[in-house]
Amino acid sequence: MALPLVGRAAPALDADAPLLDAREVAVEIGGRPILHAADLRVGTGELVAIVGPNGAGKSTFARAVAGLQRTAGGSVRWSGVDVAQLSGRQLAQLRAFVPQRSRVPEGVSVRDAVRIGRSPHVKPLGRLTRADHDAVERAIARAGVERFAERKLTTLSGGELQRVQIAVGLAQEAPLLLADEPTSHLDLGATATLAKLLRGLTADGLAVVLVVHDLSLAAAVADRVVVIARGRSVASGPPAEVLVRERLADVWQVDAALETRPDGHTALHVAWLGRTA
Amino acid sequence: MSAPPATRAAGGPAAGGEPAGPASSATAAGGPAGGPGAPPRRGPSVRQTVVVAVAAVALVAAAIGSMTLGAVHVPLSAVLDAVTGQAEDGPLKQIVLDLRLPRMVEALVVGAALGTAGALLQGALANPLASPDVMGVTGGASFGAMLILLLLPDQIALLPVGALAFGLLAAALVFAIAATGAGAGGVGRLVLAGIAMTAAFQAGTTSLMALFPERVQSAIFWLAGGLTTSGWSNLRVVWPYLAVGFVLALTLTRPLDRLALGDDVAASLGSRPRAIRLTAAVAAAMLAACAAAIAGLVTFLGLFIPHVVRMAAGTSSHTYVVPTSALAGAALMMVGDTLARTVAAPIELPVGPLMVLLGVPLFLWLLRRAT
Repeated sequence: MALPLVGRAAPALDADAPLLDAREVAVEIGGRPILHAADLRVGTGELVAIVGPNGAGKSTFARAVAGLQRTAGGSVRWSGVDVAQLSGRQLAQLRAFVPQRSRVPEGVSVRDAVRIGRSPHVKPLGRLTRADHDAVERAIARAGVERFAERKLTTLSGGELQRVQIAVGLAQEAPLLLADEPTSHLDLGATATLAKLLRGLTADGLAVVLVVHDLSLAAAVADRVVVIARGRSVASGPPAEVLVRERLADVWQVDAALETRPDGHTALHVAWLGRTA
Repeated sequence: MSAPPATRAAGGPAAGGEPAGPASSATAAGGPAGGPGAPPRRGPSVRQTVVVAVAAVALVAAAIGSMTLGAVHVPLSAVLDAVTGQAEDGPLKQIVLDLRLPRMVEALVVGAALGTAGALLQGALANPLASPDVMGVTGGASFGAMLILLLLPDQIALLPVGALAFGLLAAALVFAIAATGAGAGGVGRLVLAGIAMTAAFQAGTTSLMALFPERVQSAIFWLAGGLTTSGWSNLRVVWPYLAVGFVLALTLTRPLDRLALGDDVAASLGSRPRAIRLTAAVAAAMLAACAAAIAGLVTFLGLFIPHVVRMAAGTSSHTYVVPTSALAGAALMMVGDTLARTVAAPIELPVGPLMVLLGVPLFLWLLRRAT
């Protein structure tokens, strides 16, 4: 923060409360209601996918729970504490938000960027400690970006950049990582790499919230999916139970069926042009 | 502090179930020579250190020149005696303490203020063309200076007050327009409001000059930009604003680094992007208004110095660029002022155009080299 407020007592976090508990969240932008009532609960080590059609309010919902967007109603609690009571610094140590597309500044190396991600742990005007540098190196290794850690951001491919974004978030060492459509501009291989990375993070004990368009990807990686439609969360549960034919028809207006094989393959069978036979 | 070996195998919060990240394991196995990895560098690079060293040497050399050279040559030992209070009272001591020292300090703070202001604005607005000019500061300060020079020529002591007051007024109007109403706080709004306000004040300046053509002579020197030998009076007017500007700049370097990765990343890291942008613009406006109050229109420095620093040092990190721009700005201003006083003595060349002549070739050379 440019001008940190001093003397504000930090509210006590409740270790027994869910990491994130958002209920009936409503958002208005410019006086127009975008989100009416959306719920999301996330616990440690869980991967939750937020899915829904374009314009349904997925990204707005993700931004609202992350504290990036002011809410007009409902409640958002992080470890039992209302998001409005948390300082930016405290919030930054509870969740990392990875935007869909971020600015790619000139003259900044991958390692510089990940060090910037560590800044919530550094005192204002302070320097990175040895522990901070170690955390930066861990984030770089975990996201698999060591090979190009010295390169400038402007020289990276889309998939490499997205992994750097994750590394910036990981350097925050927050227990929950929220990623807004991280795969939407990536090719098949880069998407698979990122999916493995995000799923792997839950094995490390992190919670991951993923806003995603690709339903077969969501089904493959998520423990639970939350469906947002017309500004409301309309369903939540394991992918196979939630992404059923009737719901795909109701929410996306397509004739489609999700297939999940026990060997890890998933597929979405879509009648793209409507049923022809 | 000795650099410890890389500790990348330390693992995350629960490294036990390390799933195979294909990229990372491939790198670990087939890593380049150097085995488990050379420790990543933590301090500034050689190139960055060289840029700081060159600027520092130029600054010190120019400061020595500024104190010793002139109509009366004062030996360096006499300068040091005077500054440390060991000299006997006399004309030499007077020249050093009442004439040359204040002018040297003015060159120092004006150059540092403009370098800092440019670096802050270019970072906050994410625009390489941003300089104190776009905030309306320059236009406002010129109008304030012309009011005094043309309407109240007897009250010349008020010149820095007028320039400072109108420079800050113009910036305040720009903020008021940019920060209120629908779509408040956007970069585009701020820049357009600044351009409009600059145009309005420039029209006022031109009108004043047209109304008092016989007094325009005195205004030319101010518009060209340069320092005068006026003792400590200018600094007495502007120092509180300078101090606030420099302190804000110091607190802004890390927030600006976060902002460089985009508003959402900055917010993820706990910053408020609009607050950072507004604070940086306020600090830059204060610094630029102070610089204009002391030295007239030398604002080219604010656009140019941060680019030179970034291109020469090969980094855009604000924790490096902001202080180094202050140092490089001070060095260039002091070299320019010393040359302006001595090259064609006893004629004093205007510093503004001289610095542009010095700076543009360097700038264009770096621009051609940068990819």
